[in-house]
Formats: sequence, structure tokens, C-alpha cells
Amino acid sequence: MTAIAAPFRPLGSGRTDPLLVILWVALLALALLWIMPFAFIVFTSLKSNATVMGSSAFSPPAHPDLGNYARAWARGHFNTTMFNSAVITLIKVPLGLAISALAAYALANIRFRAARVLFLVFVFGTMIPFQVMLAPLFGVVNALHLINTYAGIILPYLAFGIPYQVFVLHAFFRDLPRELTEAALLDGASHLTVLCRIFLPLSLPVLAALLILDFVATWNEFAMALVILQDNSTWTLPLGLMSFQSQFSSNYGELNAAIVMTVLPATLVYLIFQRYFVSGLTAGAVKE
Amino acid sequence: MPVHGAMRRRLRDSAAGQAALLLAPAVLIYGGLALYPLVDVIKLSFVKWNGLTAAQPFVGLANYVQIFTADPVFWRALTNTLIWTVLSVIVPPGIGFLLALGLNQSIPGRSLLRAVFYLPVIIAPIAVATIWRWMYDPYFGLFNQVLTALGAGGLIRDWLGDSSIALYSIFIAYVWESAGFSMVLFLAGLQGVPRVLVEAARIDGAGRWSVFRYVVLPALGPSLTIVVVLSLINSFRAFDIVYGMTGGGPAQSTQMLALWAYTQAMQLGDFGPGSAISVILLLTTAAVVIPYVHRVVRRREVAG
Repeated sequence: MTAIAAPFRPLGSGRTDPLLVILWVALLALALLWIMPFAFIVFTSLKSNATVMGSSAFSPPAHPDLGNYARAWARGHFNTTMFNSAVITLIKVPLGLAISALAAYALANIRFRAARVLFLVFVFGTMIPFQVMLAPLFGVVNALHLINTYAGIILPYLAFGIPYQVFVLHAFFRDLPRELTEAALLDGASHLTVLCRIFLPLSLPVLAALLILDFVATWNEFAMALVILQDNSTWTLPLGLMSFQSQFSSNYGELNAAIVMTVLPATLVYLIFQRYFVSGLTAGAVKE
Repeated sequence: MPVHGAMRRRLRDSAAGQAALLLAPAVLIYGGLALYPLVDVIKLSFVKWNGLTAAQPFVGLANYVQIFTADPVFWRALTNTLIWTVLSVIVPPGIGFLLALGLNQSIPGRSLLRAVFYLPVIIAPIAVATIWRWMYDPYFGLFNQVLTALGAGGLIRDWLGDSSIALYSIFIAYVWESAGFSMVLFLAGLQGVPRVLVEAARIDGAGRWSVFRYVVLPALGPSLTIVVVLSLINSFRAFDIVYGMTGGGPAQSTQMLALWAYTQAMQLGDFGPGSAISVILLLTTAAVVIPYVHRVVRRREVAG
């Protein structure tokens, strides 16, 4: 993030611009409005049900009570859902990135006849809306006898994550100097060696960006999990939250504690790796 | 030199072989679990199937005829999807655009402000749905309490239970969720506006409007296309937030095509009509995506 040398001064102007001060105040007010839902959720999660019904919604809790969190954890089976989400995400994200890197390297750096068509097929995939074809997806996973298994959800997650990552990595790999590859190949190195020893170390920022982006996307995914993970012992956090909402919707404190526990991991990852996040998101768009 | 030629051929052959090996995992998984279902859904739209039996009798266009002539919910879902699409291409990108312009100025704390507006984007959509459902709670939710506190009790509604406004109530939550996404893409586009040009224009006495109109706006063309295309596609995908907030109700008033396709196949056990709806949505998406992908690929080839 760039530091601002002279606040409230437009580029190319030496004077403070009063309009920018007004704009700033307006943006601050809007930002407050934007984080209000979060404040509301956290406040409610710390109140007893009696307090929720008796006090104003936007008053901070007078006697913060963490009991809602413990109770929601137990009643919402967070042990199971948190574990499932963690296993699925920790396997899917690195594996998907590795598979995408292999494919992107081959498409960007090896000359062969089908490269152009294959690249097009992958780019096309960045835009396939899987939400539209949940039923056939269920059919395929069912035919593989993988309903209610980790593999059954990880495979489609991989399939729909690969295109975007191939697209972004292809752009990056293609811009690396060809001399690097040629020298190593003449020395007898295989393409896999070139990828691991030369390309990947040079691509760490892009890889980090894609890793973070994919972590959050996988952690948050709901629709595919809904059709493939039907047994509650295999549920992920989003499925658990949805079920919690329908079972205990009038237990406001616990419901809000469940929301906080569901979104906290992704929020922390975002706040810590914010820089990578934005670059991962814009890499595909800007490098167009 | 024949030796040299043979060596080169061997290198090339093995290079193609290596390419095939490197591509195999991606092609297999992407082909099997993304492209195959895409083809399968087209096939399923022409058969009668409950998802369990082995037999899938061919019924021709019967599924399409059924959704167009005998399914009033389909028309409701189609209308809602159209309203939703038009709104989502205009409102969140519009707000995102204004936010990006504002947060590109020299004001204190702008990184923090950007983070705040982007935060809802990384929250699970199903959690966004749960959060807003609770805020819309008719008795203890934030909205009706604020209205009461402001003395505007007359405006109190059952935001998600009233079929005439439920769709728009969900859309407000969607705006909160997605405006930050457009903002980030526009901010990235604004990085491409040459600083020198802006300064030069200012020094030459150009006003705010002129700088915006003749320097900033032309540089944002590509970002604008990306944001519109992505917003359009994302709007066809609307699933999680509707499923989580209303499930399509009350009385199908918030039903959407993606959700209705899912409901028919997975809950009513009728894969045919559900798949026909999916095919219609996929064709609509393709009409947007194919020209766009064509452009992207051509650009990349020109650039390379």
C-alpha cells in the first residue's frame, strides 16, 4: 500500500481540496454502515436470549457471555464440520494448485499441436456456472460411488478450480524469459525439473495469491457440498450453519455465535494476507 | 545436418510426451467432473429420469414443452432471474465504481476503508444469508429496531415474508456482499491510469470533470467490460444467498432459475425438466461468455 504524502491534495495540485475532506467523511460514514452487520452479529452472539429480546439490537452487551459459543459449538457439531472443512480445504487447495501449475506450464512453455485448443477449453471453464448443473454433477459423483466422501467433494472442487488457476499461471509463466528454459533443457533437465527449480520459485507471489483466494473459495463453498455431502457426518461448515439456522433459528445468541465461528477463519486469513488476496483476484482481470 | 535434425526431432517428440504427462491430471479431472456434466445435462434434458433408475427413456422435447407450458413457477423464476440480472449488472458495479473513484483519492486511511468494503466478499455467501435473515427478523432484527428508533415504525415490514418485497430484500444483502468485488477490479483498473497524464491535465487547468472524462474514464474501458461480464455471469449463478434467505419462498416469489433447476432434480426427483432449465441458463451464459473469451484469447495472442 502506498503511503500518502499529502492527504486531501489531488494529484498535481498544491492545495488542500475541501471536496476531498467531504468525500472522506462520506466514505467513513458509509464504511460504518458497511461494518454494522458485523458489529450486530458479534453483539448478539454475546447476549443471552432474554437480553436479545429485552434490549436494543445495536447496544453492546452489558455482560458479555461466551457461553453461546460453547453451546453453539456443541449443538452445531462444530467438531465435525470444522474438521471436515479443514481436511477438505487442506487437501484440495495445494493439490489443485499443483495440478494447475503442471498444466499451465505445459500450455505456456512447451510447443505442441493441441496447445491452443486446450488453452481455449480451459479459459472457457473459468466461466462455467456449476450452480446451474448441480444435478448432473451429483449424477457423475454418484456413478463413481463417491457421494458422502471427501474424494467425492474434492474432485469437483478441483475440476472447477483448475481453469482459473491455469489461466492466471499461464499468463505469468508465458512472460518468464524463454532463455531460462532453453539453457536448462540443453543441460538435459526435464520440463518437470524446469518447472520446479526455475518457474515455481519465480512465481511465489502469484502462487501465494492463488492459494489464499482458493482457500477462501473452498472454505465457503456451499452449493456443491449441498448435493454431494448428504450425510451430516460429512458436512462442512457452511452446511452445518445452514442446518443450525433451520433448527435453532429462535435461539438468537447461539445462532450468531455459530455465524461468527463459521466466518472467522476466512476473515482472519483475509485480514492477514490481504495484499495477496487482491492481487490474486485482479491477476486474471488485469493481465488480460 | 541430419544428426542435428534427428536430435531435434527426438527432443520435440519427448517434449510433446512430457506435455501430455504434465497436462494429464488437469485434463482428466476437469474433463471428467466439469465438462462431462456439462454434456450430460444436455442429454438429461431430453430424457425422463428420477436420478435412481438405470433406464433413461428418451422423451424428445417433452421436458422443454413442460417447463414452458405447464410450469408457472418457471416463468416466475425466469422473471425473477431477469430482474436480478439487470439489477446486479447496474447496482453493485455502480457502487463499486464510485467507491473505487473515492478510494483512489489521497485521503487518510484509504487502505483500511478498502478492506472494510471488501470484507463481505470473503464471507461465505451462506453466512451472508444467515446474517441478513437475522437482521431482517421482523421482531428483534436490526432493521425494524432502527426504524422504530427513528420513529418510522410505519415502514416496518416482514422483509423476507412479504412476497412483494422479498426479492428486493435479498438483493440488498447481495449488494452488500458484492459491491466490494467490483470496487477491487475498478481500483486495479485505476492503477493503469497514467499519473503523469493526470498531473499534466491538472497543470494545464483541466477541471475535475474534464480529468475524469478525458483521462480516467478512457483508461477504465477494459475494467468496465470485465466487471460487467463477471457481474452478469455471477447473477445467473445466484443460488446460495437465495437458498439461505428464503429457499425461493414465500409462495415462490423469490424463486430463481438455478435454484428451481436444483429443486426439480434434487428435491422433486425429476431430472428432466430441471436439466432443461439448466440448459437454458447455460445457453444464456454461453451467449455472454463466448464472445468475451474469444476477445481475451485474441488479446493474449496479440500480446504474446
